[in-house]
Amino acid sequence: MPLSAIKTVATAQNGVGAFILPCKRITLSYCDWAGSSRGMNAYLKNQLGAFAKRNPQIEIQVYKKAKHHPVMTADYLNGHRKSINVKNMTPEGVKEKIELLRNASPEEDKRVPNKPVTSINESVRGIWSPFHGAKIKI
Amino acid sequence: MKRIRIPSCATPSLAPRAARRPLCPYATALQRSIAPHNHRIQARFQTTTAVENFGGEQIEIEALAEQTPNAPAAPRQSQIHGSIRPEELPSPHPSEAVRSVKLSALRARLSLPPRFPLQTLARTLVHPSADPDPNFNNASMSMLGANLLGYYTTEYLLCNYPRLPISVIFAAQNAYVGPRALAIIAREWGIEAAAEPGGEVDPGLLQFKRLKPGEGVPAILARQVPWKWNTTNTHRIVATDEFGSDNAPPSPHSLATTPVPMEEAAQSFVRALVGSLHLHLGAPLVKRFFKAHFLSRHLDISTMFNFRTPTRDLSRLCAREGFESPVARLISETGRLSRHPVFVVGVYSGKDKLGEGAGSSLDEARVRAAAAALKAWYLYRPVDVTLPSSMEGELDTSKWKPNMVDCGEVIV
Repeated sequence: MPLSAIKTVATAQNGVGAFILPCKRITLSYCDWAGSSRGMNAYLKNQLGAFAKRNPQIEIQVYKKAKHHPVMTADYLNGHRKSINVKNMTPEGVKEKIELLRNASPEEDKRVPNKPVTSINESVRGIWSPFHGAKIKI
Repeated sequence: MKRIRIPSCATPSLAPRAARRPLCPYATALQRSIAPHNHRIQARFQTTTAVENFGGEQIEIEALAEQTPNAPAAPRQSQIHGSIRPEELPSPHPSEAVRSVKLSALRARLSLPPRFPLQTLARTLVHPSADPDPNFNNASMSMLGANLLGYYTTEYLLCNYPRLPISVIFAAQNAYVGPRALAIIAREWGIEAAAEPGGEVDPGLLQFKRLKPGEGVPAILARQVPWKWNTTNTHRIVATDEFGSDNAPPSPHSLATTPVPMEEAAQSFVRALVGSLHLHLGAPLVKRFFKAHFLSRHLDISTMFNFRTPTRDLSRLCAREGFESPVARLISETGRLSRHPVFVVGVYSGKDKLGEGAGSSLDEARVRAAAAALKAWYLYRPVDVTLPSSMEGELDTSKWKPNMVDCGEVIV
């Protein structure tokens, strides 16, 4: 065979065609006795319904964990998980944190490298070459 | 480019009866214990067609359930009239689907309209290895979906790149909708697998029988040595799958009760989802779904060529097309006597430059230039493309423009 093909797999570009939110599940735990869950309990009662309605693509689980601080955990499509302890927070603070988890990137926090950005797409203008074009004489 | 799979028409286990409504052997038993809260959804059960709700369906189900001689496995038959615990079912009951949070989240995540029933979505997640009953697993829908995916990908590739060599078409097809690609897509959609399939499991989990640790791939899935060694391209096009494998893949129905790897189950889910979308929502939506989730993925076809003798191929190509025979000329160079020389060589046919390449030796640059020229030929894209599927059901044929058909790759 004069020509063979190299097998690869097409890579995802989330948002180019369809966009899928990386956050797939949020688990909220509360305690109905201890005071540190007061804000969480108020959030669950009054605001969680609206959040769930706005985000049908997120699976929401709520469970009681007595004598523990309230915790919210988000699971992402790539298998990563992020948790936030929301003890003693106001309902507004809890809301802020749940939005934070919803919008978060699933990747771990890391330093933005001090490197130029590269693209997988071909340059429209082409790459400059020293061997082409007008010759410069010094 | 090809063919409806033959097993889809010939499998004996497929479609044994043509009843007015699909039968659920558990229906009678479960209707006594589970209170349905929506009659319309209940009437649909696992079917892929929307069915009207008739009065007196309860009686009809009972009557039909008794007449069904070839209904599934032994536990199902013996338990029809008793009360069934969900653990005794091989896969979750369809009525559980509307209560599954995972399923409705998945439907919203894929932006599917609410008229796509959750019961069908639940059925696409049941691999034949979990539930051998073809009325409850995704085997038939995954066959349909595999053919649709193959059709839409091939027509996209053939119309947009009419000169691609057949091996590159196969590889590109494999990159877009091959088994590995589909398994990755399922993971990116957030599909999770159940540890063990069963009636009590959440229907939003992928259900399949897992391989035991240390167990190899089952014999039916292991691609065997072809029965003759000189497998030709014609054989690959006509007799096997759409990815140019040497032998055909096993029919989904034949995988019943065989433990399978997760990749196999995940790919069957994606195919079955496409098949069921076609049945419920029609071809236009499937085409949009395909474009959004499959064609939008990034694939650089120019990196998939592996030439062995590009210079010889190019001279054959020029001879075939009636161009002057290609000549390589040095365009520029630097550092010939240094440690890092760079030569820029162009391949010319008469006065036309066919391709150009840079290399650290004259020979390398010449070979790169020939490969660039061949890629420029093979990767030609026509400006106006009308996909055949875009004209399905159209009465006005004036929009149709015939596509370019090339005479094929160079034969050396």
